[in-house]
Amino acid sequence: MRKLLTGLRGGLFVGLVLALAAVLFVDIQDAQAEYGDVVINNHSDAATMRPVIFPHWFHRVRFACKVCHADLGFKFKAGGNDINMVKIIDGQFCGACHNGEVAWSVENCNLCHSAKPGTPTQVHESTIQKLAQPSGASQKK
Amino acid sequence: MKKLQLIASMMLGLAAAGSVSADAGKDTYTKVCAVCHAGGIAAAPRYGNAADWGPRIAKGVPTLYQSALKGTPKGMPAKGGNLTLPDASVKAAVDYMVAAAGGAKAAAEPKADAKKEAKAEPKKEAKPEPKKEAAKEAAKEEAPKAAAAPAPAAVAAAPLVQEGASAADVNSFNRLLKPAGKRNLPPPEDGIHDPANDGTHALQPPLAAFGSLPKSFAGNRVNWVEAIGSGKIKPRWDRTDLTAEPIVMDMNVVREVKGSMPDVVYPHKQHTQWLDCSNCHPAIFTPQKGANQISMASILLGEKCGVCHGKVAFPVSECRLCHSKKKDLVKPATAAAR
Repeated sequence: MRKLLTGLRGGLFVGLVLALAAVLFVDIQDAQAEYGDVVINNHSDAATMRPVIFPHWFHRVRFACKVCHADLGFKFKAGGNDINMVKIIDGQFCGACHNGEVAWSVENCNLCHSAKPGTPTQVHESTIQKLAQPSGASQKK
Repeated sequence: MKKLQLIASMMLGLAAAGSVSADAGKDTYTKVCAVCHAGGIAAAPRYGNAADWGPRIAKGVPTLYQSALKGTPKGMPAKGGNLTLPDASVKAAVDYMVAAAGGAKAAAEPKADAKKEAKAEPKKEAKPEPKKEAAKEAAKEEAPKAAAAPAPAAVAAAPLVQEGASAADVNSFNRLLKPAGKRNLPPPEDGIHDPANDGTHALQPPLAAFGSLPKSFAGNRVNWVEAIGSGKIKPRWDRTDLTAEPIVMDMNVVREVKGSMPDVVYPHKQHTQWLDCSNCHPAIFTPQKGANQISMASILLGEKCGVCHGKVAFPVSECRLCHSKKKDLVKPATAAAR
């Protein structure tokens, strides 16, 4: 009786593992991040950091688009601004605010570098992404 | 003998799980679920109403768990809209409501038959458990039942799980549609943030900011133009100067379009509340009427309006927000009078 039960448990365990694998697979294909979340992975993966996620919604509640896209010189292109930590610490791009005065400073690495490793540069939920580039795609130009 | 033992172990498991979760279930129900389920708001099955609950219980408690956790197209929000609830509490609340609707017996009876139906059952039950670790209570309840299944069935059922997962949502093939339960998820659950990163958990969840903002049907599900127009948000116009005000330009440009779609009205006003002239002119749009070739194809490819619309501003699915000026299909005599 007990032997039978352990056997059954083993089978159940295998089933659960397979189900978990299936569920994980489905979830990765089906990321649900916020509209306009930008993943920036120009240098992060190569530097063994998590890629950066820039939440547009969070910033637009607090700043007009113009502040970053006109005054600070951010181009309207994900990954198109060649941002690096030297520039940020020098007060350019993110560093214009993320300097400990307007917003928290660069010591809080993990607040920006928070994406799953290997996530490609993208504007999440964008029309282009949905039409041509599913979030599970491994590479984006 | 074997049968009796199995049934007894099932009962024990049920009783143990029941006593642990009953209080938690009632607690969650009164705090969250009762808002709709007490009175049947939005056609929610009413608490204690066997007629409302009967058909749902017949589909099996695991299916109910799934509906409660993930939401349904009929209107049930995921976790009742309270995404911070642990899965175990949601399940406990489901148990509590099922019991009140006289479902305890109905739910228990099929379990006694589970040995025969086991081939079909484990695939349903295996699904909710691995998804979230917090389902220990449910596991306690379901483990003996599933153990009754012949081992080969449990293994054979596993590949079906994936099929079942996609078949559960008939529209899941269409990536442009997103069910209510999958909108505005907190960072650790959104699929691109790494839940293993401590910083991820320190980030503000979108719904914490969106709660008081006017809603829309696309994008972030926030009507940003109305939010700024009504003063619900007051984004700074300058990085540090809090007194700086936007120079709003109130000028509409009407673009006549081919075909039967209404003409496009482009409002400078709503755009200059957010943007500087130099953001669009002259790089994206030549500041001269009739000088810009714009097509829906170019917008979909991320050019012209598509530089923002379809990325951060509302997407092209909201046709009538731009195509908003009716064409004069017949030219009546009154046109001359105008």
